[in-house]
Amino acid sequence: MGKVIVVTSGKGGVGKSTSTANLGTALAVLGKKVVVVDADVGLRNLDVIMGLESRVVYTSMDVLEGNCELDKALVKDRRTKDLYLLAASQKNNKSDIQPEQMKKLCLELKEAHDYVLVDSPAGIEQGFQNAAAGADEALIITTPEVAAVRDADRIIGLLQNMSINDLHLVINRLSPEMVKTGDMMEPTDVIDILSIDLIGVIPEDREIVISTNRGMPSTYNHKSDAGQAYKRIAQRLEGEDVPIPEFKSVGLLGTWFGKLFTWG
Amino acid sequence: MFKRLMQLLNREQKSKSVAKSRLQLILVQDRTGIDEEIMESLQAELTEVLSKYFILEREQVEMELEREQDSMALVANIPVLGTKVRHPIEA
Repeated sequence: MGKVIVVTSGKGGVGKSTSTANLGTALAVLGKKVVVVDADVGLRNLDVIMGLESRVVYTSMDVLEGNCELDKALVKDRRTKDLYLLAASQKNNKSDIQPEQMKKLCLELKEAHDYVLVDSPAGIEQGFQNAAAGADEALIITTPEVAAVRDADRIIGLLQNMSINDLHLVINRLSPEMVKTGDMMEPTDVIDILSIDLIGVIPEDREIVISTNRGMPSTYNHKSDAGQAYKRIAQRLEGEDVPIPEFKSVGLLGTWFGKLFTWG
Repeated sequence: MFKRLMQLLNREQKSKSVAKSRLQLILVQDRTGIDEEIMESLQAELTEVLSKYFILEREQVEMELEREQDSMALVANIPVLGTKVRHPIEA
């Protein structure tokens, strides 16, 4: 029996789907049996980020309506062994699925997979409630920005109300340069505010745009900093002790000395 | 001397510190669900009760929810000019 992890954030555009795709891929590369589930009914995009859009035939809605068996609705990713996608219906609304149905679906999926990663839609309405309904754990994605952290705090409260207490934070799109100069909150600042476990920091990386263009998760790219950071998160999820690289501001004097050294 | 130099160099607050303190304030309100309106009526009622016992400088009363690490505190600054309660021994 595997576990269901909902990937969520509250705020849109902070990298939920990208994180789901990359972590799912990274876990499968580690040899785990993984299914990534798009819970954004009506506005699906995980299939595109995974590069599997042309092969989607059935969706979770078809399974719930009894149009097809669950196994038949899973799209197999041919690049990695044991990686599957369950797409969301494009024709339906978020209110067409009930939390109870989602719970049952997750239960069935985790019987046959080590990890079920559920990509939640933005917001705190029914779409999110559905996505989290069957979750054992949650990955909260935020960027080091005021609006994103505020929404993450809201989501953490809602998850705790749903008795999902195994929460891990992913800080996405951190610019090491801006952190260094004190113009971006560093991981310790965000942790101070949200007080939950940090499981990884993904540096800002142009490679993410390029890999999304190609439909090829960055995890496959050994030169991508973000892709490698996702791999480390996968290892941590697997219980391995992989340290999180430190990102800190150095203060004005520090930067000056730093510059002197790099010039010299 | 060195300390003074540091102070001079760090005079302007970094934007990340501004972000952090703004967030802390926002979250106090978000987490309690107490908005400006509720705080105002709380302050009015508390001032009313306290006025039965003290002579207060009403315009100077300040009340705020503050967050320190994991705990939250209602911090009030209420200037007292005198007391209205007589000492019991006199009776």
